[in-house]
Amino acid sequence: MAAFTLWWQMHAWRTPEVLASTRFSRPDGDEHVSFSLLLPARHEQAVLDHTVQRLLESTHTDFEIIVIVGHDDPETTAVAEDAAARDPRVRVVVDTHEKKNKPKAMNTALPHCRGDVVGVFDAEDQVHPELLAHVDHAFRTTKADVVQGGVQLINFHSSWYSLRNCLEYFFWFRSRLHLHAQKGFIPLGGNTVFVRTDVLREADGWDPDCLAEDCDLGVRLSSVGKKVVVAYDSDMVTREETPGSLVSLLKQRTRWNQGFLQVYRKKDWKQLPGFGQRLLARYTLMTPFLQAFSGVVIPLNAAVALFLDVPVGIAFLTFLPLVTAAVTFVFEVVGLHDFGKQYGLRVRLVHYLKLIVGGPFYQVLLAGAAIRAVWREQRGRNDWELTSHVGAHLTRAEVNRDLREDVPA
Amino acid sequence: MTSTLPAVTTPKVPAQRQPAPETGSADRTAPPSRLRSSRSDLLLCGALLVAVLVVQGWNIADYPTLSDDEGTYLAQAWAVQQGKGLAHYTYWYDHPPLGWVQIALLTWIPSWLSPGSMTVGGMRIAMLVVSAVSAVLVYVLARRLSLPRWAAGLAMALFGLSPLSVVLQREIFLDNIAVMWTLLAFTLAASPSRHLWHHFGAGLAAATAVLTKETMLVVLPALFVTMWRHSHRDTRKFAVTGAVTACVLIGFSYPLFALLKGELLPGGGHVSLWDGVKYQMTRPGSGFILDRSSGSYGVLHSWLYYDRVLPLGGLAGALLLIATWRWSVTARALAGPAFTIAILTVLAMRPNGYLPAMYVIQALPFLALVLAGGTASVAHAVLRRWRADGEKRYVTGGRYALAAVLAVAAGAYVVPRWYDGDHTAVTTDANAPYRAASKWLTSEVEDPKDTRVLVDDALWLDLVHDGYRPGLGVIWFYKADLDPAVTKTMPHGWKDIDYVVASPTVRRDAVDLPNVKAAIEHSTPVATFGTGEDRIEIRQIQTTGTADGGVR
Repeated sequence: MAAFTLWWQMHAWRTPEVLASTRFSRPDGDEHVSFSLLLPARHEQAVLDHTVQRLLESTHTDFEIIVIVGHDDPETTAVAEDAAARDPRVRVVVDTHEKKNKPKAMNTALPHCRGDVVGVFDAEDQVHPELLAHVDHAFRTTKADVVQGGVQLINFHSSWYSLRNCLEYFFWFRSRLHLHAQKGFIPLGGNTVFVRTDVLREADGWDPDCLAEDCDLGVRLSSVGKKVVVAYDSDMVTREETPGSLVSLLKQRTRWNQGFLQVYRKKDWKQLPGFGQRLLARYTLMTPFLQAFSGVVIPLNAAVALFLDVPVGIAFLTFLPLVTAAVTFVFEVVGLHDFGKQYGLRVRLVHYLKLIVGGPFYQVLLAGAAIRAVWREQRGRNDWELTSHVGAHLTRAEVNRDLREDVPA
Repeated sequence: MTSTLPAVTTPKVPAQRQPAPETGSADRTAPPSRLRSSRSDLLLCGALLVAVLVVQGWNIADYPTLSDDEGTYLAQAWAVQQGKGLAHYTYWYDHPPLGWVQIALLTWIPSWLSPGSMTVGGMRIAMLVVSAVSAVLVYVLARRLSLPRWAAGLAMALFGLSPLSVVLQREIFLDNIAVMWTLLAFTLAASPSRHLWHHFGAGLAAATAVLTKETMLVVLPALFVTMWRHSHRDTRKFAVTGAVTACVLIGFSYPLFALLKGELLPGGGHVSLWDGVKYQMTRPGSGFILDRSSGSYGVLHSWLYYDRVLPLGGLAGALLLIATWRWSVTARALAGPAFTIAILTVLAMRPNGYLPAMYVIQALPFLALVLAGGTASVAHAVLRRWRADGEKRYVTGGRYALAAVLAVAAGAYVVPRWYDGDHTAVTTDANAPYRAASKWLTSEVEDPKDTRVLVDDALWLDLVHDGYRPGLGVIWFYKADLDPAVTKTMPHGWKDIDYVVASPTVRRDAVDLPNVKAAIEHSTPVATFGTGEDRIEIRQIQTTGTADGGVR
């Protein structure tokens, strides 16, 4: 199982040709697609204006920005209205649902979209000005229904877990998603994702009850055979930051895992035509739980082999998973080097050490999130955990960050 | 339907589907992307393979003389098959065990069908599989290193048909198996698709080679160079680290194995990996290879006796390639093999290193490759260099005439010598004394089960099949002095032995083995097979009053 993950994780680097094919192709300057960019914002008055201004700097000429705010959030609404007054391309949609979450907010805005393509961003995303032009080109040249751009966490130096978190994103967007696109089963990311408006309406938008509505949308669209294209360029990725604390990371992970479980139980993936695709779907959606399992089993195995009196042959076998784990580790170290190089960041020796030492602890965290997700799902608690406890025990910034819907990694 | 975006090389290039940017030199003769689908490659390689198999297989059991080492490995493979662990005597980390584990696998089916066939002569046939795989790999590797088809064929022929190769590759040596894995590693490292997992596989194959015969360690730098040259700038760091990791991890399984058995470090009452390594590292040197009186010189001459073309020609080829590095595409393409030859040559030239007779085995495929590469280089120089578009016809004709003269001259030199060498290999019966000795011990000794015989390793399995007790009844002669588990069953020293089969190996090594020496001194020959230095004597121990030899 670790070997599979490793195999897929390294997909993009298999051959130089594959690596070259994962990048955006250069736009030709022609523009045919108009965009409606959804920007759900909740208690994010601090960053919202900056994000909108940056989006407005896009080189593409035909797009509108729809900021979605809650009716109970006057501060953010004020910032949004202000931006709308300054630029006609910005509009504001108010979500009046009693219980709020991101899919509901975006479904509220969907009827207001005028563009050919709906794009989703988060309120604190840093979007590259040339991204839209590239996406436009990708839609035209590949006849895609969906284009997924890259998202990258950048603040790897903040803490040991943010380092690992960044690297997870790196491997996921740089490599693994391309494999999914190629195989025809793809759990989409939460932002920098672009869908043709008619396709999205046909699919009835996002599932308001799913905790991983982005993943769900990807699964549903690929199940009905829509063409998804993934492109990754280190210049063109949307930059984000990792969750601000371990607890919020754990909660975010729990939500994704629970979302994965829900998507699995919805069984949309069963419509996939190929057996291999269905297997990949099953495996991908179960990954967090298998990961949790192996995280516990591997150290146990090695301990058994070393300390108990078992035959040499069997002891030998118990070390096999450790080998794949070691290979993964090494590739992660190399990945970190590549990450630093691509983003022009200085990765120091201490970061490599943190990466290695932090590995097992991160596994524990992932395992914890997986178990927690199963437990919550069993007890039928599928609310948006943090939405219902706003400000209870977290700073506002953390809440905002958790509200943001990210892609699973 | 989903897919990734069309490929582009760099963001600066207009969108289009094109391969990844090339690094390194443009190859003169790009190999076909799939050798498997190239008809002429298949035909050439297949024809050569048949030739190699016929020459190597014909008379394989009777020539060359059975070697002691062959007996050692095959007997240990037999022990593996019998479920007696890694050896029938205590496994003492003399070599990593993977080599004879593979021999055990190779000979599993034939020995299951007919247990009596598990003797050195009979099981040499299994080495044909190894030779065949290696020969094909030499061809594929040559093509992947951008040699033209004829040169790849030449490399395969040199490797498989040189009388030196024929003699050495017939024998059950771990080196032959290790060479196969090394060739696989090089072939994967030079994979034209530059696939990450091919390079990873190269690391695995390299580790297998080292665990088959530890001397393959010295070739790894050359493998690294090959991989470096054949990987792409954008994916190199993943490919190369992946390969190194794979190699190291698999390599570590050997110390891990020792650790799990509690035999990693020396301690009272058990063997250890540490001691095994120490033994191999401190083996007494055999002198400087160019010193006429040294043992190494003798070894060198034993190689040159069989064939001078491949070792000396290959060395010259390597020198030529290294010298023309700057101008010749072929020289750069063959950097890996040439580097291998350089490493092995330097190691062989150590002033007082230990130079075993098998040393040259690991060099054979690379000698063949660089010799073929050197030939291709010369051919290119003669036929193409400084050739302008409007070259006069007589000049071109002269070029071809010169090439033809060179080819004929080389053929005239090589073919008769190789014919003689290979003719000897397919017709000579060098092992009649061994067979006769085995037969005598079967028919003339009354009670094999209770008879104790010192034999060399090559004859050991024959006697086991004849009913002697393996280990303490029929005894590897040197175990009588070196293995505490054996000596303690011989409280009276040589008096506890009934026979000594004094083969050339036993007589040679007895000098340093008191028990064996005493046994020879206190015995008289009851049967002698062969004459002179190569004779095999069956000597019965003469103990006063207890002459219970059991001769009819």
